[in-house]
Amino acid sequence: MGYDYIRPASLEQALSLAAQGESALIAGGTDLLVALHKKKRPAPGRLISIRSLPELAGIRDEGARLRIGAAVPLADLLAHPAQARLPALAKALGVMGSRQIRNVATLGGTLCNASPGADAAPPLLALGAGVELAGPAGRRTLDLAEFFRGPGRTALQPGEIMTAVLVPWPGAGTQSHFLRRSRVAMDIATVSLAACFGLTNNRLSGVRLAAGAVAPVPLRLRATETFLEGKALTDETLAEAAKLARADVAPISDLRGTAWYRRELVGVFLARALRAGNGGKP
Amino acid sequence: MKTTLHLKLNGRDAALEVAPHARLLDVLRDVAGLTGAKEGCGEGECGACTVLVDGRAVNSCLFPALEAEGRSVVTIEGLAGAQGGLSSLQQAFVQEGGAQCGFCTPGMVMSAAALLSANRDPSDDEIRDALVGNLCRCTGYAQIVASIRAAAGKAGAP
Ligand SMILES: Cc1cc2nc3c(=O)[nH]c(=O)nc-3n(C[C@H](O)[C@H](O)[C@H](O)COP(=O)(O)OP(=O)(O)OC[C@H]3O[C@@H](n4cnc5c(N)ncnc54)[C@H](O)[C@@H]3O)c2cc1C
Ligand code: FES
Ligand code: FES
Repeated sequence: MGYDYIRPASLEQALSLAAQGESALIAGGTDLLVALHKKKRPAPGRLISIRSLPELAGIRDEGARLRIGAAVPLADLLAHPAQARLPALAKALGVMGSRQIRNVATLGGTLCNASPGADAAPPLLALGAGVELAGPAGRRTLDLAEFFRGPGRTALQPGEIMTAVLVPWPGAGTQSHFLRRSRVAMDIATVSLAACFGLTNNRLSGVRLAAGAVAPVPLRLRATETFLEGKALTDETLAEAAKLARADVAPISDLRGTAWYRRELVGVFLARALRAGNGGKP
Repeated sequence: MKTTLHLKLNGRDAALEVAPHARLLDVLRDVAGLTGAKEGCGEGECGACTVLVDGRAVNSCLFPALEAEGRSVVTIEGLAGAQGGLSSLQQAFVQEGGAQCGFCTPGMVMSAAALLSANRDPSDDEIRDALVGNLCRCTGYAQIVASIRAAAGKAGAP
């Protein structure tokens, strides 16, 4: 203990502080301070707070997409009218932690923390979201699917700060669903799954699927997506898709569930999400 | 090395000397002498440390004290009625048996206060949802929900 705590006034200041090393970034602190409290990570020399940086604040409709500042608290995003157009994301954010957690936890924080079970990740992956990063070498944007590199590991380079999450608006007629299983309230997910797709005359189009807590990173179910594209929604299709989805994931066994159970659930959730497209219960 | 933290604490301007890495919970208890907020887990799970920052319920065990700079912080001590007595929400907890050992109570009441200031007449489900982050090992929650229901809609609540 005994680290310094610095609250830079601008992104530029934060970047120059971060470039000096020996420090960690803190947004809402709900992951970081718990990890420090449990001594799961060594105390840094100092914490650089990005919570109030104006460049990381605000939610803006940019026409083709929604730009969400990386330091926007989950509660603010949930209260924003945009959530009506992103139901799967809203559902995921709504089950994250408690009110107290959602009032401070940020969207950038949960992505940069890179937990395999982070609830916000599957819906953002299925929506085709990108992330905007600022660093010593300038700004870049990355597909969220390329951002996660392993449990707690991301594509962030030393000194880089996530500035925004970019969510393309789903096209007209696109549905989105989020399913999640956890043991009790406030527990992280055992399995989660998000699905975006269109369904006209019982034919699937624009299928994008993502799952959480079933691999080292939250991931897109690419082989399953490819199989489903253009298919008619029948029991046979669902059975085959569930089989492919179970092969698309690589879960582990832990206190929340066995690898077998997680694989089973991915298939079940996929079938429920697609059936929900025809008015079935998700 | 200490820094001066300026905030509005229970309605009054305050300047407190704090270590840069201090948690708001420790500053409230040890520097300001407000021991209503409790430490149960220190990890955001139990809610015993819940206080309001700019009207929103937060876990003060996960809230860096310096982030309260320029903000308004309200603790259970700040809820008391104008004449120094209990607020109607606190009275409801007394009348309905919403407290047993009392350890969770300051946090429960603060979460309830945040709920009632946003929603004057919450349903039981909304009350339970607002308390997801507050654990009680004594009451079984039924009396807590009853207390908040009793306080809802009353003049002066929270
Ligand atoms: C009691 C409790 C319950 C929880 N329940 C859930 C749950 O149900 N579902 C769930 O998914 N999560 C849950 N969480 C996890 C956590 O709340 C979320 O992951 C949260 O969104 C993290 O955001 P934060 O702003 O608090 O991150 P912080 O703790 O501030 O940061 C997390 C990490 O990301 C880095 N970082 C943060 N922002 C940036 C940025 N902009 N650029 C670069 N790096 C950055 C930090 O350096 C740190 O390493 C829970 C946590 C607690 C304590
Ligand atoms: S002590 Fe803060 S949530 Fe338990
Ligand atoms: S009254 Fe004892 S923990 Fe709630």
